[in-house]
Amino acid sequence: MSSFLRQLIKTVRTSTVKSGVIANLARLQSTEAVSVKETRPTVRKSDELARTQLVDFGKYVADCLPKYIQKVQITAGDELELLIASEGVVPVLQFLKDHHSCQFSNLSDIAGMDVPCRPYRFEVIYNLLSVRFNSRIRVKTYTDELTPVDSCNGIYKAANWYEREIWDMYGVFFANHPDLRRILTDYGFEGHPFRKDFPLSGYVEVRYDDEKKRVVIEPLELAQEFRKFELSAPWEQFPKFRNAPPAVEEVKTNKQ
Amino acid sequence: MSGALKKTTGITGLAVAQNPHKALGVLYSKILRTLEKMPESAAYRKHTEAIIKERAAILQTTPVVQEAEKKINCGQIEEVIIQAQNELTLARKMLTWRAWEPLIKEPPSNQWAWPPAQPVEQR
Amino acid sequence: MAQPLKKSLKQVKPILSLDKEEARKRVLHLYKAWFRQLPYIVRRYDIPKNVEQCRSKLREEFTKYDDIKDVRVIDMMIIKGQMELKETVNVWKQKGHIMAYFKDTIEPKPTDFLSKFLTSKD
Repeated sequence: MSSFLRQLIKTVRTSTVKSGVIANLARLQSTEAVSVKETRPTVRKSDELARTQLVDFGKYVADCLPKYIQKVQITAGDELELLIASEGVVPVLQFLKDHHSCQFSNLSDIAGMDVPCRPYRFEVIYNLLSVRFNSRIRVKTYTDELTPVDSCNGIYKAANWYEREIWDMYGVFFANHPDLRRILTDYGFEGHPFRKDFPLSGYVEVRYDDEKKRVVIEPLELAQEFRKFELSAPWEQFPKFRNAPPAVEEVKTNKQ
Repeated sequence: MSGALKKTTGITGLAVAQNPHKALGVLYSKILRTLEKMPESAAYRKHTEAIIKERAAILQTTPVVQEAEKKINCGQIEEVIIQAQNELTLARKMLTWRAWEPLIKEPPSNQWAWPPAQPVEQR
Repeated sequence: MAQPLKKSLKQVKPILSLDKEEARKRVLHLYKAWFRQLPYIVRRYDIPKNVEQCRSKLREEFTKYDDIKDVRVIDMMIIKGQMELKETVNVWKQKGHIMAYFKDTIEPKPTDFLSKFLTSKD
């Protein structure tokens, strides 16, 4: 119901207010090329040159590694992302590190993400930095609870603790990791806290027992009725960003 | 060979190369030989060959190290050597991976959709 | 008919073991490793249990998962069990962590109606 309302409001608005129509047209055009130059002082200017370079570079990498790269996209205007099959973690990262025109010698971070409704629910995200070319790239892959991902510890030594963190928080197993064990949770801790199905309160509580003279771990039960949250609101939250360019733009590669 | 004798690269753990032209020549020929084992149509082979041949040509025409560094424009000659070493290991690994083949696995539909697609009832 | 057949033939990447027999061997291996370490564990940690009690607890912990048949799930549990063994033997764990297996401070859940009613929270 609420979503219907929102659409209704939008159509009414665009049909009455002239500027709204123009803005919508601009949005349609912006998928082709950002032609309107940003002049507002508080809004970040888009760097067309850097963007085209990123697009070209994305195509270049997809050209070189057609076996592993599923999709190349640009997010938030100027961030390049490579979406790869989980078999290709080592080849793609090795290529990005060692190739002459990549030289992403620094692994800034490995992140995890959990989207339970997908068949492969976890995403593993590698953030790379090229000191030589002052540029960053993001490599994303996917896995589920039982599919191992190849460890990139042989390529980036920094990956050691990051992968341990992902293992601890999400339970993604990294094959060929030299020292995979917990890093943040307590010994004997069960479950993986960053999974979406992990309760906010956890499964156990820890307290000091005066009789036993030691710390005891006990299961925790917080009774709560089933609740369903309606997160969409009937009004538009960010009307000023109605004309913002789409968050993700796919880069066309040769095979498509 | 060069006018002023270079004492340090200014980078920790990176010694001044004694005969960079020779070292690079060996590395580049090794890389080219490795690349020849790949199919002609492989994009990686084409791009890398172009880069390597360009650098090799620069090195052949300019015997002075500083000038070659300037023309290559990718850091000091010692760093260029390291890049060549990296490229060589990469090229050899690419041969075993056969990375020029078509896509190994298509993603499940909606795997990369954002915001995430809502689950569809199975069967 | 074709649908479930396709589902059962889904190819997956193995974690450690390629078939059930291998997984079984790994489980036995892990069990033996724990079993052999138990005397040392009892000696190192100041716990009010003897080796016999620990052995029965070990057996209980393993037989708890008797009904798991998926090779990859078994592999995952073997990996976690191996990590736990390492944590225990290297004395990274403390007394409280070891005693958490025995659950001796947890009151059993009520079974009859009246005590269920009296302890109910909602």
